[in-house]
Amino acid sequence: MNKMGKGAIATGVGVLLLVGGGGTLATWNQAQNASMGSVVSGDLNLVASNGKWTNAAGTAIADISAYRVVPGDVLTYTQDVNVTLTGDLMTAKLTVTGVGADGTGSAAFGGAATASATTLTKGTQVLPDAILKPSDSGVVKASTTFTFKSSATGRTATNASYSLGNIGYALVQQAPASANNS
Amino acid sequence: MRSSPMLKAAGLVLAAVLLGLLAVQGSYALWNTAVSANAGTIQAADFRVSLTDTSVNNTTDMTLPDGTAAAIALTTTPAGTVLPGQATYAGVRLGNVTNAGGDFTIQAALGSTPGKTDAGSGLAGYLTVKAVAAAALDQCSSAALYASAPPADLPAMTIAKGATGVFCFQVALNAATPAALAGSTAAITLPIVVTQQ
Repeated sequence: MNKMGKGAIATGVGVLLLVGGGGTLATWNQAQNASMGSVVSGDLNLVASNGKWTNAAGTAIADISAYRVVPGDVLTYTQDVNVTLTGDLMTAKLTVTGVGADGTGSAAFGGAATASATTLTKGTQVLPDAILKPSDSGVVKASTTFTFKSSATGRTATNASYSLGNIGYALVQQAPASANNS
Repeated sequence: MRSSPMLKAAGLVLAAVLLGLLAVQGSYALWNTAVSANAGTIQAADFRVSLTDTSVNNTTDMTLPDGTAAAIALTTTPAGTVLPGQATYAGVRLGNVTNAGGDFTIQAALGSTPGKTDAGSGLAGYLTVKAVAAAALDQCSSAALYASAPPADLPAMTIAKGATGVFCFQVALNAATPAALAGSTAAITLPIVVTQQ
């Protein structure tokens, strides 16, 4: 048998072996879905509504930029801050950021005006180190009071300005106990 | 491969730093959000009180732009000389022209009894000045307005925001003024003090 014949026979045997191997596909087999479901992330959000200024007489101030304070004026800024916390292990802290008391403008008023530290209240006061849970989601009321002291004398602080623009709120998630820190 | 102890130490330090940084970075990766309160800027009012003479073109703010107190020369009625036993009248209208956002009531008062100077002529001693509060400048020249006012009275009045008030003055020359003082002059100053109520 020449070499060509031997090669053809070897090729034929190889093909037969392949056919034999194909036969294993016919045996029983089964596949199952793991049914792991979907992983859904939670939420952390903070939305501040439009705040409202009122003076000591309880009169609403439509535009604080057009209002001019005088000694004895006490203005209060109230604002609803909507907190959303979703997640089985979600915890967070809500804090006031920026300048409050003795902030920008205090010098311009010659010390005759003060802005209180902003307070956050949801039933009771929300302290800076309070740990909020998803059940604490909802409206938190923020309040800041500006006082132009009656003790101002002469023409102290006429036409002065006091910026409260730096005040804000921060909602920061706290690491779950089992956090992987990655 | 052999490495020196220095190299090993450096490697350990680098590994420790990397681990430390990674641990710190992990805490920043948690969710957080921040919003502004948009509280805006609070602006103080001015404290403006206008002074207007009976000659209404003569007007000024009580405090000048440089912060000093203004002086306003009042027009007398009738104009000209005053004869013994007669009087002349003047008035000034105060306007509470503040731009305060809320209530802003002021109290205006004569700060002290009128000052009288006559350069030594002695005329001032024969002048009697009465001051009363009124509603309008045109009341000032009415003698009846001063009938019940004592000479040393220092009237006061409250003026609401945007409103005005008037101080009227009567300067009477004593009927017994010596003729030798004819032609003499005297200046009368009336300090006005305004305070926030």
